[in-house]
Amino acid sequence: MRKALTLAVTGLVAAVLGFLSLAGLAAATTATEEEAVAKAEELVEKAKQANEPDPYVPEIYGSR
Amino acid sequence: MVRDRLLLYAVAAVVTAIVLAPLAAPGYVLRYDMVFVPRQPLTWDLVAPAQGLPRAVPMDAVVSVLTQLVPGWVVQRIALGGAVLLAAVGAGRLVPTERTGVRLLAAVGYAWTPYLAERLLIGQWGLLVCYAALPWLVRAVLELRAGRADAVARVLLAAAPAAITPTGGLIAFGVVSLLAPQRRRWRGSTVAVAGVALLNAPWVAAALVTDAGGTSDPAGVAVFAARGENWAGPLAALAGTGGIWSAQATPASRALPLVPLVTLVLLALAAAGFGLLRRRMSSDALTRLLVLAGAGFLLAALGVVPGSADVLRWAVAQLPGAGLLRDGQKFLAPYALLLVVCVALGAERLVTRMERTNREVAGVMLGGVLLLPVAAMPDLAFGGAGRLWPVSYPADWQVVAGRLAADPGGEVLALPLSGYRAYSWNAGRTVLDPAPRYLPATVLIDDTLRVGDVAVTGENARLREIRQLLGAGRPVAETGVRWVLVQQHRADQVDPATLTGLELVHQGAFLALYRNPAVPPSPVVVSPVRWAVVVALAAAVAVVVAAMFRRYVGGLLRGNLRSEVQTLEDWHA
Repeated sequence: MRKALTLAVTGLVAAVLGFLSLAGLAAATTATEEEAVAKAEELVEKAKQANEPDPYVPEIYGSR
Repeated sequence: MVRDRLLLYAVAAVVTAIVLAPLAAPGYVLRYDMVFVPRQPLTWDLVAPAQGLPRAVPMDAVVSVLTQLVPGWVVQRIALGGAVLLAAVGAGRLVPTERTGVRLLAAVGYAWTPYLAERLLIGQWGLLVCYAALPWLVRAVLELRAGRADAVARVLLAAAPAAITPTGGLIAFGVVSLLAPQRRRWRGSTVAVAGVALLNAPWVAAALVTDAGGTSDPAGVAVFAARGENWAGPLAALAGTGGIWSAQATPASRALPLVPLVTLVLLALAAAGFGLLRRRMSSDALTRLLVLAGAGFLLAALGVVPGSADVLRWAVAQLPGAGLLRDGQKFLAPYALLLVVCVALGAERLVTRMERTNREVAGVMLGGVLLLPVAAMPDLAFGGAGRLWPVSYPADWQVVAGRLAADPGGEVLALPLSGYRAYSWNAGRTVLDPAPRYLPATVLIDDTLRVGDVAVTGENARLREIRQLLGAGRPVAETGVRWVLVQQHRADQVDPATLTGLELVHQGAFLALYRNPAVPPSPVVVSPVRWAVVVALAAAVAVVVAAMFRRYVGGLLRGNLRSEVQTLEDWHA
């Protein structure tokens, strides 16, 4: 009984981890050039609305 | 044995392919500090910068030489692919275990750290080369301690790629000078330490001869300090090997609230694995490894601990070379390596215990731990979820390079004044201006670093003078530069009055090149002290050649072919 329970719990944890990583990989690999550009435009728009500096203004090396 | 080795390489290759998948497309990945060009000229400014700090010495010289032989896109793929692949294989080989699964776990874990992801996303590929060389270097030093023949050559060959950047060279020097010395075998360790010191000679010589001075703007300490990536703060981010200063170079998944718990699980596993490491490694070597990893962690944390941050600010402003410490998270690499090795051994301990009750569960558990880093940071896959994407340079660049090559002499000023650019043809990704590496001339780009609202002043005195002139509304013709390159994506920022008195030589869609008729062509005047850098480079190359000779040729010449073949097999083992 104890062995079966351990197996079930471990299997469940492994399945969750596996699902997370596979889902993450799948999500990551679907990123396209258009999506990257759209994301950049979205960030620029958000920055404008929040009255923050444009994150893509060239002279900015990065922000914290 | 061979099967296990092949499996390790295969898994490392799969991880490399997943991380760098976009590099299968043609072109150049240009992102933050990562700039590759088709053929990088071997100019004095790349070998021994006269006005700036030698942050890319001797890396730029190495790339310049390599791109005379193969195109820059090939060099970029070899550097990035080699770094991820060899990092994984090196970590897998370093773990003192008989179990293939544990080696695979270390390989995946070391190639999937936040450290690797963040330094990749900020484009510091030279540092990644050091990160990849680190497990090989540690292994070679441990062999030196064990008295293995030709271990000194192995140490030097592993340290050489690390030393292509000042930070990497310092890390390699720290590893060897801390781990190698021992009373019984003082001769080998002394040669190894001296050899690695010589490998560092090029950037040290360049730092001594540059006019930039060795001190930096202390404002950089706060902006380049480790950054908290989620609710747990910067120290927890560092504990998980993340914490780079830049939000743009941090994978989005690092902000998830569960990340600190994953770090906690890894630290618990590492604590369990440490006991096993203590049994399998000499206590002296282990203590030194711990000191090395601890010192790396402390350097990384310097900028965020209130008292030490003040000391660091003072040091950066007063002590030449202390500026190297302001982005201290770079020094976390030895900590990352020790953490991964301990986590792998912790998993082994856990699995061994579970195997006594249920073998299947143990296998599933090992697989779970192996997938944990990937599950916790899936957005490293596919070039950081599409953030690394190759593009082609517009034809303008080749045309401008051709014009400058046909009429050499004089400085080129890149306008608008900015070190970093976000070109439309690079999908708006920020990248260090490629002009100094693409064009066969001395190119002046602004070295002020803007991080958020803070401007960190650069060290280039010539740029300071030009900035002041332009700031006072004077035309660029008065600065004494012979060429002006206007990068059109920000043309709105260049006041037409600034360009008064210049002749337009090329007008393209992305670049415009102007000539200053007031400045005649002048040959590049090389100060004799800059030859010291060439001598240092020659010394470093001599060290590498001697190590290669000792490692691969010496045995063959002695006719000891059989043992050499065995050694070669061991090297690839």
